[in-house]
Amino acid sequence: MKRRDFLSSVGAVGTAGALSAPALLTTIGRATAQGNDIPVGLLFSLTGAVAVVESTLHDAALMAIEEINAAGGVHGRQLRPIIEDPASDPATYADRARRLMIRDKCVSVFGSYTSASRQAVLPVTEQRSNLYWYPTLYEGRECSRNVMYGGAVPNQQQDELIPWAIENFGPRFYMIGNNYVYPKEENNYCKTLLAKHGGEVVHEEYVPLGHSDFSSVINRIRAEEPDVIFATVVGDSDVAFARQYHAAELDPARMPVVSLTRSEVEVKAIGGEAAAGHFSSAPYFMGTQTPENERFVESYKSRYGADQVTHFVSEAAYFQVYQFKAALEKLDPANITPETIRDAAVGLTLTAPQGEVLIDENLHTHLWPKIGQWQSNGQAEVLLQSQERVAPLPYAAYEGQTCTGEGLVRA
Amino acid sequence: MTTRLFYDLVALVIFALVIVLGVPALMGFDGFELNTFARYLALGIASLALALSWGGAGLLNLGQAATFGMGSYAMAMHLKLKASGDGLPDFMGWNNVPELPLIWVPFHSLGFTLLAGLLVPAFVGGLIAMFMFRARIAGVFVAIITLAFLVAFQLVVIEEQGITGGQNGLTGLAPLNVLGWSVDTYGVGFYYLVAGCLVTAITIGLYLTHSKFGLILRAIREDADRTRFLGYNVANYQTVIFCISAALAGWAGMLYTLVLEFASPTYMSVSFSLAIVIWCAVGGRDSVLAAAIGAILVNLLEGRLSDIFVEGWNLMLGVIFVFVVMFMPRGLNGLVGDAWRFIGGRLQKERTISTRPHLQPEPVKSGQEN
Repeated sequence: MKRRDFLSSVGAVGTAGALSAPALLTTIGRATAQGNDIPVGLLFSLTGAVAVVESTLHDAALMAIEEINAAGGVHGRQLRPIIEDPASDPATYADRARRLMIRDKCVSVFGSYTSASRQAVLPVTEQRSNLYWYPTLYEGRECSRNVMYGGAVPNQQQDELIPWAIENFGPRFYMIGNNYVYPKEENNYCKTLLAKHGGEVVHEEYVPLGHSDFSSVINRIRAEEPDVIFATVVGDSDVAFARQYHAAELDPARMPVVSLTRSEVEVKAIGGEAAAGHFSSAPYFMGTQTPENERFVESYKSRYGADQVTHFVSEAAYFQVYQFKAALEKLDPANITPETIRDAAVGLTLTAPQGEVLIDENLHTHLWPKIGQWQSNGQAEVLLQSQERVAPLPYAAYEGQTCTGEGLVRA
Repeated sequence: MTTRLFYDLVALVIFALVIVLGVPALMGFDGFELNTFARYLALGIASLALALSWGGAGLLNLGQAATFGMGSYAMAMHLKLKASGDGLPDFMGWNNVPELPLIWVPFHSLGFTLLAGLLVPAFVGGLIAMFMFRARIAGVFVAIITLAFLVAFQLVVIEEQGITGGQNGLTGLAPLNVLGWSVDTYGVGFYYLVAGCLVTAITIGLYLTHSKFGLILRAIREDADRTRFLGYNVANYQTVIFCISAALAGWAGMLYTLVLEFASPTYMSVSFSLAIVIWCAVGGRDSVLAAAIGAILVNLLEGRLSDIFVEGWNLMLGVIFVFVVMFMPRGLNGLVGDAWRFIGGRLQKERTISTRPHLQPEPVKSGQEN
C-alpha cells in the first residue's frame, strides 16, 4: 500500500468517525431507565491510585446486590447495578455521578473512599436531591441531607481509644498523618480528648499524601520517645511507614502505633510480621465473631478468592446495601424516590457483621467501636469492644454545633 | 481575504451553528445533558489556548494545567466567599486559620475575580516566558521547564492547606451571581454562556493566527534565528503569545469550576496537562478550531467508551492516542486537509496536466535530500 493510498483510506475512516459524532450525542441523551427493576449506581474506582481499596468496596457492594437479587429482590423487583469507574479522579467522579443520577435515574448511588471524591459528588447529589451512600470513616463536620454515612466519625473511633491508650501506654502522644483534612480533623479532636484525660502532644507532623520516606520521622520518634504514635497515615504511605518502623527495630511494646486508618488491606500489604503488635481502632475487624460476619467473610472469600480480606470499609459498603434494601421494603413500591428512601432509612436497625447498627436521624450510623491488636497472621485480635453502641457526633470537636435531622444546628 | 481565512471563517460559522443550535436540539434542550457538554466546551478553550502557543509558535507548554488551575481557583475563591457569608470558609476552621488571608480579601468582588482569573495566569505565564525566552530556551527545554513549574505549583497548592483547601480543593461553592442573574449550572442559559465563551475564544484565536502577529510567530516557529536576523524581537513575540495562551487557559479554568462546582488540585496535575496536549494533538495543533474540536471529540469519546466498557476504557483510549500520534501527526485537521487536497488534486489532474509546474521544487540531483 502506498503512503498516499494509506492516508486516504485513513482519511475515509476518520471522516466516517467525524460524521458519526451526532450518533455519539444522541445516545448520550437517552435515558436508560426501563423495565421494572430498580437502578442503583456503583461509583468506586476500579483503576488509578485508590483502586486497591475501592475495588474491594465495589466487590462487597456488588456482592450484597447480587445476594439480594438471588433472594428475590425487593417487592419482587430486582436491583439493577449500574457500574461506573471514576478512575480515582475527582472531576471524573463528578461527571460519572451526573451520569448515574441524571441520565440513569438511579434512586441511590453507592460510592467513594476519599473525602475529595465525596465532595466532588456532593454538589450534584444535593442539587438533584439524590442519595449517596458513603461507606468510609471520615473526618466528620459534614451534615448533608443527601449522604448516608456508613463509616465512623472521630468520636466513634477515639472516645474509647484515647483513655485506653493513655492508661496502657502513657500520656505522651506523637501525631503523624498525611497532610489533608482527615488527619487534621482527627488530630483536632484527639487534642480535646487528650486535654480532658491528661495527655499531651509531643509532636504533630504531616507528610504529603503518597509520601514514602519516613526516615526523618522515625529519627524524631526515636529522639522524642513518645508513649504512643497516633497515626492517621493512609494508603501507600501507611504501608511504607509501618515497614520502615519495623525495619528501624522500634519496639511495638514500648512505642506502639495506634492507627485510625490501618485495616486488613493495609496490613496485607505491610506484611503480618511488620504489623504485628500495633493497634487499630475500628468498628469492624475481619475476625469479628458473629454469625453474620462468618457468612459475610465466607461468601466474600468464595466469590473473590481465599486470599482476599474484608475490612471496616468494605463491611460498611456491604451492610449499606442491606440498609438500602430494608428502607425500600418499608416503602410503597410506587413511591420510591431518594427522599422517601432516606426518610424510611432513618431509625432503621440492621444486624451487620460488626453487630446491630442503627441509622441516626443525622444520617450517620451508630456503630460498635473496637480496638484490635495486629497479629503476625495479618488478622487483628479484638482487645476491647465497646459495651454499647456509640452514637455518631460529626461535630464533636466543635462546641455549639450539632448535626440533627433538620441539618446543622448552631447553638 | 485569503482562501485560508475564508475556509476558517466558514468552519467557525458551521461550528458555532452546531454548538449553539445543533447540540442543544439533539439533547432536547435538557439542561442536565447540556451541563455535561458544557464541560467539554470549557475544556475546548483550554485546548485551543495550547494550540496558540504550541501549534502557532512551536512552544510546547506542558504547564498549561497550572494556569488553568489559577483561573479555576480564582473563581472558586469568589464562590466560596459567597457561600461562607460573613464567616470564614469552613476549611480554614479546621486548619486553625484565625482570619481571612489577605490574598482572599479582594475575591469578594466578582469584577476583581474575573480580571484575576485572566490576568494572574497571564502574569505568571509572562514571567516564566520572559525568563525562558530571553535566555533563548527553545524546543524540548520549554516543555521540561513548564512541566517542572506545574509540578512545583501543584505541590504548593496542596501543601498550603490553610489558603487553598489542600488535597480536597475548594468545595461547597455558592452559585455564581452576575448582575442579579443567579447562574444555574444545569440550565440551558449556562450552556449558552459557555458556548458563547468558546466561540469568542476561537474567534480571538483565529484573529491572532491570521494577523501579522500570527505570521511572525509562525516564522519564529519555523526558524527563530532567521526571524531574529530579519529584525524581530523573538523573545517578545513568544512572551506575548505565552501570556495570551495562559489567560485563555485561566478563562477555561473559571468556566470549569462553574460547571463542576468545585476546584481541585487535580486540575493542576501532570496527567491533566498531558490530556490537554493530547486533545490538541488529536484535533490538530495548527488550528485553534481543530484543537477545540479535538478536546470535545476526545472527551465525548471518553464518555462513550467509559459507558460501554466500564473496565479498560482508559487502556483503549491510550491505544487510540498512540495510533493518532503514529499515523496522524497533524491530527484530524491534517487528515481533513490531506483528504481535501487529494480530492482536489485528482479532479485537477483530470482537467489539466500539471497546472503549476513552476511551483514544484527542482529535483535534487546531488542526492542530498533533506
